Amino acid sequence: MSPVGIPVRTRAVSRSFLPLLTAAALLAVAAPALSADLGAGEKLANERCAACHGKDGNTPIDPSYPRLSGQHEDYLVHAMRAYKVDERKNPIMGAQAKMLSRDDILNLAAFYARQPGMLNHDR
Amino acid sequence: MNARKLPTVAGTPARAGAPIAGAWTSTLALALSGVVPAALAAAMVLLAPQAVAQGTKGDPKAAEAKIGACIGCHAIPGYKASFPMVYSVPMIHGQSAKYIENALTAYRSGDRAHPTMRAIAGSLSDQDIADLAAYYGKPQEKK
Repeated sequence: MSPVGIPVRTRAVSRSFLPLLTAAALLAVAAPALSADLGAGEKLANERCAACHGKDGNTPIDPSYPRLSGQHEDYLVHAMRAYKVDERKNPIMGAQAKMLSRDDILNLAAFYARQPGMLNHDR
Repeated sequence: MNARKLPTVAGTPARAGAPIAGAWTSTLALALSGVVPAALAAAMVLLAPQAVAQGTKGDPKAAEAKIGACIGCHAIPGYKASFPMVYSVPMIHGQSAKYIENALTAYRSGDRAHPTMRAIAGSLSDQDIADLAAYYGKPQEKK
């Protein structure tokens, strides 16, 4: 094993992995749901969200609360993140979102985006 | 208002102080007089009703002439907001009416920040917002 041989070999290996790494990186960006845990999302949804947004995510207890089910996953992530960092100001959602980890947010968004809802793109 | 009197009240202790202490106190008073009204203003903004004027009744029919600015983004499946962050624009048809009203009002006042929505909501009257909320919102099913 020559000292020169090792770096060459390493470079060759890392080059062969490059396409795979690129693909993995792209997937991670494009589809957060792949890594989301729907079961954990459902559990958290029932514990933290259902009391106000409705058990099905479509029947909020107050008309000023939004329906969540079927909403775009990345928008739900964006909204929860915005509440967490006080970019969106709401006393209830601010407090709730601050208790959520990054994974919690991804799991919740993945869960609600997959529930049947009444939201649509109609004009 | 209380804040008006603050500089005088805070300035009073300067009576016994050396010139330097006096200067420090009035600086403090000046700082306070800036901070307190700002805090009060912030509190008032938080307490102020954010909804459209009470009794404004939304007319979904009238909204049909006002949805032009909405459909360019919200009615296009897969459309994404690209600035300042990239994410799918939310589906709004079928959303709670009151939620839409609050969202538009918050964008209009700047409470909710998004450049495009701020610009669009800024041109809406209370009546426009009520009409759009009635148009896009779906009432709660009776259970």
